[in-house]
Amino acid sequence: MNEEYLWDKSGEPDPEIQQLEQILGALRHQPKPLDLSDEVQPRSRNRYLPLIAIAATLLIAMIAGALWLRVRSKTVPQLNNVRIESPKRQQDIPNIDDKKTNDILATVPGKPNREPRPKVKEVKHSRTLEASNMTAVERQQALEAKEQLMIALRLTSEKLNLAHRKAQGASENQIRNQHKVG
Amino acid sequence: MKLLFHRITRALLISALFVIAATITTHAQDPRIRLAHLDHLATKASETVDVNIDERLIQLAAKLFNDKDEDEAKIKKLVNGLKGIYVKSFEFDDENAYSPADVDSIRSQLKEPAWSRLVNVTSKRDGIVEVYLALNGPDVLGLAVLSAEPKELTIVNIVGPVDLEKLAKLEGNLGIPDLGIQPGKHKTKNEQ
Repeated sequence: MNEEYLWDKSGEPDPEIQQLEQILGALRHQPKPLDLSDEVQPRSRNRYLPLIAIAATLLIAMIAGALWLRVRSKTVPQLNNVRIESPKRQQDIPNIDDKKTNDILATVPGKPNREPRPKVKEVKHSRTLEASNMTAVERQQALEAKEQLMIALRLTSEKLNLAHRKAQGASENQIRNQHKVG
Repeated sequence: MKLLFHRITRALLISALFVIAATITTHAQDPRIRLAHLDHLATKASETVDVNIDERLIQLAAKLFNDKDEDEAKIKKLVNGLKGIYVKSFEFDDENAYSPADVDSIRSQLKEPAWSRLVNVTSKRDGIVEVYLALNGPDVLGLAVLSAEPKELTIVNIVGPVDLEKLAKLEGNLGIPDLGIQPGKHKTKNEQ
């Protein structure tokens, strides 16, 4: 065997070496463009991940903002929604007037089967400095708000009073029962 | 560059989580009760009182209270710190016009730890009256009153630092009856 053939392919080739060359020749490097389609594609998807994350974050922030605005808008009162619905009551309250506010409150909410509501103390309103700075619209809104405020306070105090009386009544009954048992 | 993208992504995701968590926490601490779902009762009711006053309107209304008048000054002081007053009251001609589910829908919003039940009076004949306070340590964040009588359903929700002491001082003024609440003594039914 000529070893020069193995070194630089000069001289007489060995048939076995030639056979091996033929078999392994199929695996020889063949220059061609790099094809990474199968391996690289998932990585190319990863390239968009930050953009997707940014978009998702913005979307979440927008949803959170929208929810916040919705909750906020619910808290914004619409005076048109503030209502006391009763045919009788509407007759009783033909016009909202600053001077008559307390009188109106005395009739609201009227329940004939209950103890009469305490008479509202008549208060003469002198124009405060803050009130005098209001526009006509603001003043109207303020008057309506004041009326609603007083109704709410009246109802709240009425219910608190009721709770207090009932709680007291319950405890008195308990004491009475304890005496009976004792 | 890739590392920078990863860091930005992580920071944005964490920020988004913070925003969501803050939104949820804020909503959880809000002593405002949802009452809108009770609107259907208005069609059955013979009388409906629906009051929605937010902080801006309270402040606007407070401007009309005369500081020189003792009674009005007291009310002005009472409402000044409040952030909202919401009332729904339905009065019916017949009994059982509202369902226990309507009451439960309110009660389910008044759970601990956000709310503490101050008074609970239940009577087969007269229905129930429950008074709740939203507390954050010693601070009062809100008040809720649930009154369910056979022919009447009333829910009061006051958002803000309700000062019961001031409320007690308000007793008897402008037609507001004596509540019998002593300053600094907030008794529950069991304590009495």
